[in-house]
Amino acid sequence: MNLEPTLQDATLAVSLRGVGKRFGSVEAVKSLDLRVERGSLIGLLGPNGAGKSTAIRMIMSLIRPDCGELTVLGGDALDMKDRIGYLPEERGVYRRMRVGEFLIYIGRLKGLSKSEAALRVARWLERIELPGVLRSRCQELSKGMQQKVQFIAAVLHDPDLIVLDEPFSGLDPVNARILINAVRDLHREGRTILLSTHQMSQAEQLCDRVVLINRGEKILDANTQQVLSDFAPRAIEVEASDAAQLAAAHLGELPGVESTKEGSSPRSLVLCLSEGANPQDTMAHALSAIGCRRLEIARVSLDDVFIRLVTEHGGHARLEARGSA
Amino acid sequence: MMERVTIVASAASSSGFRLSRIMTIAWREFKHTVFTKGFIIGALAFPLVMFGLIGLMPLLLSDKPTPVTGTVVVADSDGAVAQAMAEAFRQYREPSPTAIATGSPFDEFDPDSLDAMGRGVVQVDISRVALDSDLAPIRSRVQEGSLLGLVEIPAGLLESNPSDDLEISLLVPSGSPTKTTALIERLAREATVVARVERSGGDLDATRALLRHPRSATARLNAEGNTAREDIKIRYFLPGAFMMLMWIAAFTSANQLLTTTIEEKSSKVIEVLLSAASPLELLAGKIAGQSLVSALMLSTYGVAGLSGLAMIAALDLVPISTLLLFIVWFVLAYLMVASIMTAIGSAVSDLREAQSLVQPAMIVMMVPLMLWLPISENPTGWLATVASFIPPCGPFVMVLRTTGAMEPIPEWQIAVALLVNAAATVGLVWAAARIFRVGVLMQGKPPTPRELIRWARAR
Repeated sequence: MNLEPTLQDATLAVSLRGVGKRFGSVEAVKSLDLRVERGSLIGLLGPNGAGKSTAIRMIMSLIRPDCGELTVLGGDALDMKDRIGYLPEERGVYRRMRVGEFLIYIGRLKGLSKSEAALRVARWLERIELPGVLRSRCQELSKGMQQKVQFIAAVLHDPDLIVLDEPFSGLDPVNARILINAVRDLHREGRTILLSTHQMSQAEQLCDRVVLINRGEKILDANTQQVLSDFAPRAIEVEASDAAQLAAAHLGELPGVESTKEGSSPRSLVLCLSEGANPQDTMAHALSAIGCRRLEIARVSLDDVFIRLVTEHGGHARLEARGSA
Repeated sequence: MMERVTIVASAASSSGFRLSRIMTIAWREFKHTVFTKGFIIGALAFPLVMFGLIGLMPLLLSDKPTPVTGTVVVADSDGAVAQAMAEAFRQYREPSPTAIATGSPFDEFDPDSLDAMGRGVVQVDISRVALDSDLAPIRSRVQEGSLLGLVEIPAGLLESNPSDDLEISLLVPSGSPTKTTALIERLAREATVVARVERSGGDLDATRALLRHPRSATARLNAEGNTAREDIKIRYFLPGAFMMLMWIAAFTSANQLLTTTIEEKSSKVIEVLLSAASPLELLAGKIAGQSLVSALMLSTYGVAGLSGLAMIAALDLVPISTLLLFIVWFVLAYLMVASIMTAIGSAVSDLREAQSLVQPAMIVMMVPLMLWLPISENPTGWLATVASFIPPCGPFVMVLRTTGAMEPIPEWQIAVALLVNAAATVGLVWAAARIFRVGVLMQGKPPTPRELIRWARAR
């Protein structure tokens, strides 16, 4: 790890060094190092019970770490509440309060004046497609609508750092898309965003960098594109026009091909390349050998990386970060 | 084992404590408690109506009651009772300090009594018949309602030593008001006594004068040689009223704190709130908000109570110094009870779980109610003195003592009670803040008392 000697780095929004937390006999977070640069959008990934929410709660100063060093926006999160937006995993609303009243209340706690909060509430309700609910009681809204209201509560005060714990869980694809766009816009505006999720596709779409935690330990901390590249299989997927042609072509004997395996469809085959083989040359050979409907370098998804790492390391072995951290 | 923890605070750190946040939380807490139908009806309207009715009672009683008009037939042996009864009704209409119709011929008439205030038009004629005459036609007239009643006085009742088996018989129509029958029966009894005294040759006026009960007054002499008049009404009623007022106001708000804290936990809004305010700010705001609710109740009931005292010209029973001291005791009592209830609310997940922790706390807090009578009986005794130094009962006991004592409570006792209870208040608020900080984020089974202590001592 290449941590700076001091935690008071002006370029960092969040910095954790050797932070740990134990609940009874369970070590929820083990000596976690994490650096979140200002203006970045970082995905904190991990299976259920990996320690993501505990790490986030420590970052938010909701619980104190047992050990380690921790700074948020150069200080203690307790003193920075007006500059931090937080959407907790365990979220709720005052059921009998009206939506507008609830959001203005949270806005006022975050240091906004009543009029400014009211203005922003109206703007945000339009922005995330919740018009006309201002005077509705929170209990009258669907779960998804309540979640959008809670998202507004987290970002209403224009925070520098936004911490979102499973922000898209339970949302239908339309509403998830609305929130994903909102998160992307906030990132473009220069906010630092720390996003915890176990939905890899969303992390892949949104995050500059991903940090994977399993059983309280960090097992990956890298640039998203770098992860996809590092974990990409050295393979080519060929989809033939018909299955018989695919069997007759003996693609496994092409130069540079070490082995073959089934592809994503009955008419496709994955050609695993040997060490030093040039994918472009192998693709050219494949094109001349068979009538291809589709020919591409096989891709890896974060899902694949996630499953592979968690399965391979069982959460016990610690994998050093790959790529840039 | 890793031990070192560094959480870097900014140079402008305010330890996460901001007054504006506390005020915002307090106002929400107040608004969402007070502006609800349940509170307006239960905590304000109902008691105010009760106070209003108590205040209106004398006026209601002084309003025109059912008139008593008609004829009562008295059947006696020689007409003496009938004559005395006619005189009794006359005196009842025009009462005098030694009137026969005050309950006993020997009691004094109190013009301020409820009986005096409740008198309406009484216009009763007495008609006498001989005891041995045919009473059947008279009974028929009573039955049809043309007579107010038939009173039969057995001859033996006028003897100097009548048999216990003999009794006056009163026959009234079935729809006769109870108040009317009670009046006729009472005056018949008194008239019988008067007739009996006259038959024995006694002087009724002289006997009345001899047997009249003297007035009495008790004064307590303290060590300095000063005396203080003792008033039984003050001694029992006033301290109880003050303590109950304080108890109700403190517990209503503390109970709200318990339920709203549990509600915030169960609805999962607590973590959203904690992202905007520190646990200490949240706790302080909630306690401050409910203190306003408590103050509202206290002032509503207090003003109603003081108005009641003003109506009966007894406002001097509550000197301003007592009121000021009452406010101090109330603040201490409220903070102690509120701290206990908030700590419990933060530690549990629902109201059912809260019961097991609230019950022991409630037993302790019921102690002042149980001590009401013994302490009112002797506000300067050892029980009262010791109890006033034991929190959280101390403030309640001190209110009983200061409002009920016929002689001043020694200043050193007030000072020590203030000191001990204030220290306990600080301790309880501190412990509640520590428990709240840990408890509000906890889910699952409720903590044991030992775990609560561990939370309070946690770093």
